Amino acid sequence: MSVWIGSMQKHIEGFKELTTYNDIVNIAAPKEIYIPLINGVSTAFEVLVKEGDRVFVNTKVAVRNDRFEVPLFSPVSGVVKGIKKIMHASLKPVDHIVIENDELYESTISIPHLDLEKATKDEVIEFAKVAGIVGMGGAGFPTYFKYLTPATLKVVLINGVECEPYITSDYRMMENYTQDLITGFIAMMKMANAQEVHIAIKKSKKKLIKYIQEAIKPYPFASIKEVDDVYPMGWERTLVYAIYKKRYVKIPCEVNVIVNNATTAIALGQAITKQMGPTMKMVTVSGNGIKNPANVFVPVGTPASHIIAQLGGYTDENITLVAGGPMMGKTMTTDAWVITPYTNAITITKTEQVDSMTCLRCGTCNDHCPAGLLPVRINNAEQAKNVDLIAQLNADLCIECGLCTYVCPSKLEVTEGVRRAKRVLALKKGA
Amino acid sequence: MKLQFKVSPTMKTRQSTQQIMMLLTLGLMSVVLFSSAFYFVEYGMNYVVHLWSLLAVAVSVAVASEAVWAYFLKKDIVKYLKTSFPWVTAIILVLMVPISTPLYPIAIGTFFAIVVAKLMFGGFGHNVFNLAGVGRAVMLFSFGAAIMPDLVTSATPISSIANLGWVVKDAVQLETFLAQFGGISGLLFGWYPGAIGETSALLIMVIGIFLAVKNVLDWRIPVFYMGTIFVLSALVAAIQGLGIWFPLYNIFAGGAMFGAVFMLTDPVTNPTSASGRILFAIGAGIITMLIRLQGNYPEGVVFSILIMNMLSPMIDRFTDGWQLELSKKYVTSIATLSVVGALLMGVVGFNLQAVAIEEPEPEVPDITLSSPIALDQSASATQGVILSSSVDGDATVVLVEINGYKVLSGEYDDALPNKVEVRINTSTLKVVSVTVVEVKDTNNIGTKVDNPIFLDQFKDLDQTGSVDAVSGATVTSLSVVRAVYAALEHVKGGE
Repeated sequence: MSVWIGSMQKHIEGFKELTTYNDIVNIAAPKEIYIPLINGVSTAFEVLVKEGDRVFVNTKVAVRNDRFEVPLFSPVSGVVKGIKKIMHASLKPVDHIVIENDELYESTISIPHLDLEKATKDEVIEFAKVAGIVGMGGAGFPTYFKYLTPATLKVVLINGVECEPYITSDYRMMENYTQDLITGFIAMMKMANAQEVHIAIKKSKKKLIKYIQEAIKPYPFASIKEVDDVYPMGWERTLVYAIYKKRYVKIPCEVNVIVNNATTAIALGQAITKQMGPTMKMVTVSGNGIKNPANVFVPVGTPASHIIAQLGGYTDENITLVAGGPMMGKTMTTDAWVITPYTNAITITKTEQVDSMTCLRCGTCNDHCPAGLLPVRINNAEQAKNVDLIAQLNADLCIECGLCTYVCPSKLEVTEGVRRAKRVLALKKGA
Repeated sequence: MKLQFKVSPTMKTRQSTQQIMMLLTLGLMSVVLFSSAFYFVEYGMNYVVHLWSLLAVAVSVAVASEAVWAYFLKKDIVKYLKTSFPWVTAIILVLMVPISTPLYPIAIGTFFAIVVAKLMFGGFGHNVFNLAGVGRAVMLFSFGAAIMPDLVTSATPISSIANLGWVVKDAVQLETFLAQFGGISGLLFGWYPGAIGETSALLIMVIGIFLAVKNVLDWRIPVFYMGTIFVLSALVAAIQGLGIWFPLYNIFAGGAMFGAVFMLTDPVTNPTSASGRILFAIGAGIITMLIRLQGNYPEGVVFSILIMNMLSPMIDRFTDGWQLELSKKYVTSIATLSVVGALLMGVVGFNLQAVAIEEPEPEVPDITLSSPIALDQSASATQGVILSSSVDGDATVVLVEINGYKVLSGEYDDALPNKVEVRINTSTLKVVSVTVVEVKDTNNIGTKVDNPIFLDQFKDLDQTGSVDAVSGATVTSLSVVRAVYAALEHVKGGE
C-alpha cells in the first residue's frame, strides 16, 4: 500500500450478520453421497474401493497419487455403487465415488494414533499427510507439503480473517472448536519448529477476539493479531504484509512465516484427538437467494441441492448460485455438485442485471489490485492481443481475487479479462 | 428455476460511473450557484440571466450534437446520452469563460469540444484531450477579443499580475494590487469577478475534497498539481525575494484550483496507474508555471492540461509492469521530474524582471501668463493675515490668508479670502515654494492660479522679484503675490 501504487485493498460489505449468530444446522447425509476425486486442479486419484464394497465411516476410499499424497475418507457407512462423472464445483466434470448410505454410521479407524507430546516434527508432518489435511480456506492445498520447506520458520500464522463477503464458517468453527484449534496450532508449531503462533482476526470481530484471547491465555506463545476489515486481507501476501510489513516473492516461508487457515488447524486438531480425517464440513449457505441462511455442518460428498432444500429452498425464480464466496467462488449452472473437504460456502443471490458501459480509464482497478498489477492495462493488452505486453504486465501473478471487477464503476468484467490474458500467456509459455 | 451463469466475482460495488458523473455535476452546479449569487449581489440580475443563458446554450449544443450523432449511428438516443454525459463538458466550459462572453463563442466552443474532440475520437471514454480544455482553447484562439473581460468585470487576477511581469516587489504597489481582489484571503474566497467559476479557490477546494472522499476523483492529481505550483512559485519567490503572497497568489488566483479539481482529474484523459497520475500532475504543474511566468499567455492551466493529456499514453507505457517490482522506478522518476521542474523554475526565477510601470504624469491644465507683477509693488495694497508660522528645518512655513477677487470686488455677499502656504528659507530669506491651500474665487477662473506654471515662478525670489500673472485671473494672481510678500515680510520681521 502506498501513494504511488494505491491502497491495494478495499473494505467491502460483508453481509456476515446473516449467519454469524443463528444456529448451526446439522444436515444428515442423503441417500447417496458422491466423493469427488479431485484436489485443487488434480484428478489423479487411485480408487481404493470397487463397486459392491461395503465401506464404513472413515474408510479410506481413494488417494491422490501424483506428486502429492492426499487420502479421501468416507463420511458414511454403506455400499459403493460405482464411479460417476458429474459437474464439480470447479466447473469441471469430475469422477465421483458413489456411496449408498445405509444410515447405520458404522465406523472404522484409518488414521494412526499420534501422541503429540512425544512426536517429532517429521512424525507430525507424516500424520498430517495420512490424515488428508488440506487447506480448508478454499484452495485445498496439501498441508503437510508446506511444512517440508527447508526454510527456518519462526511464526505459524493462523488465518482466521475470512475476508470473503457472506462467509462465516471459519468464525463459527473457531467459536465452536476452540480446543481443536489450539491442538491444531500446537501441532503446526511442531511441524514448523516455530516459537510463536499468531492468530489473525479482523478487528471488527470483537466478540470472537475476546473469546479466543481468553482461550489461549494458558499458551504464552500464542497471540492474536488484529487486522483491518478489508478485502482481500485473507490472502497470504496481503495478510503477511499487513502484520509484518514484509513482502516475499513466492511463499511466506521466505520471511520465516507459514500461514494456515483456522479451519485447517481445527481439522488437524480433530484428526489428532478423534483419529478421523476431514469428512465433515462447516459450510456457510447465505445470500438473499436462500430462504434460511445458515451455517450447515454436512458430510463431504453431499450435493448442494440437498442442503438448499433443507434450508427452505430458493427465494426467487432467477438466482445466481456460487460455489464459495461471491468474490472468488465459481458461478454454477446446476446445484447437483457436492461439498468437498475444502468447500466453505454456497452463496445464493437473486440475479441482478447490471448494464456495463465504456471503460472510464479511472484506474480504480489498478489502485486496488492486491497483487500490485495493472488490471485495466492487462485488459487493454489482451484486447489488442499484445502477448509481450501481457507478459511485461505479469498477468500470471493474478490470483483472481475479483477486486478489480468489484470496484469497476463501469461494471466491466475486469477479472475475466485478466483471466483471458493469463490463458493467452499460458498458451504462449506452453508453445 | 433459472441458475444464471456469470463470471466471478458476482458481487459489485454500488458505485457506478453514472453516480460519479451525477456527483461531478452536483459539484459543478454548486460553483454555478456561487457565481450566480456573486453576480446577482454585485452586478444585478442581468448578469445572472446572462450566466444561465450561457449555460443553457452550451448544454443545449452539447446534448443536441450528441443526439444527432446517436441518430446517425442508429443508436437509442436517450440511452446514448445517459452513458455519454455531454452536459458535464458544457458546464465546465461555461465556468471557464468570463461573464462578458457572448453566446455564439460558447456555442461554437462547445460544438467543437463535443463533436471534434469527443465524438470523432469514438465518444465517451475514448477522447484523448480534456473536452472542456479543447473548447476553451478553440475559443481563446478564435474569439480572443470577444471573450476578453469587459470594463465592468475588469481583468482576471492572473492577467493583471502577468501585466506586472509577475514580480511585484514594491510593498505599496503590491498592496494596491492585491486590494482589488480583497487581498490574498479575498482571492481564496473568490468574491471578485474573473472567469465565471474559477474565482473561489476555497469553494472549489471544498468540493474537491468532497469528490475525493466520494471516490469521484483521485486525490493525488489535485494535491500533486497544486503542490507543484506551490513549491515552484515558492522557489521563485525565494529567488526574487518575494513574500509568501506569491505562492499563495499562484494557488488561489486564476484557473489552477478549478483545473486541478474539475479538468485535470478527468479520468478518461489521465494515465491509469497511481504513479502515472502523480507524474502527470507534477508535469502539468511545471508546465502551468512555465507558461504563466514565461509564456505569451497569462494563464497556463488549460494548455498544461492539454499537453499532459497528450503524454498520458506515454506515461501509461512508462509505468507498465508489476507495480511492486517497479516501486523504485516510480519513486525515482517522480523525484527526477520534480528536480527537473525545480531547476527549470530556478532559471526562470533568476531571469524574471518586473515590468516597469510608467506612472502617467498628472495632467497640467494649460494656462498662459500675462503681465508681470513685482512683489514690492503689491505691498501697498491689502495686507495678508498671517494665520500660522512654523519652522521646518532650514525653512519657515507661513500660512497666509489673503483677500482675493470675490472679497475685493464686493459683489459677493459671503465671499471668503484665499489661503496660501509659503515656504521660505529662513537664512537666505528667499521663497522655497508656494502652495495654494484654498482658492475661494470663481471656479475655473480664480482656481487657475493653483498651477505649477504660475507657482514655480516664486522659487528663489525675495521681495525684489516679480512674477507673471495668470491671464484672466489677474486679481487672484495678485492675491497670491501679496500673500508671498506678506510671508516674506513676516519672516524678515521675526528675525
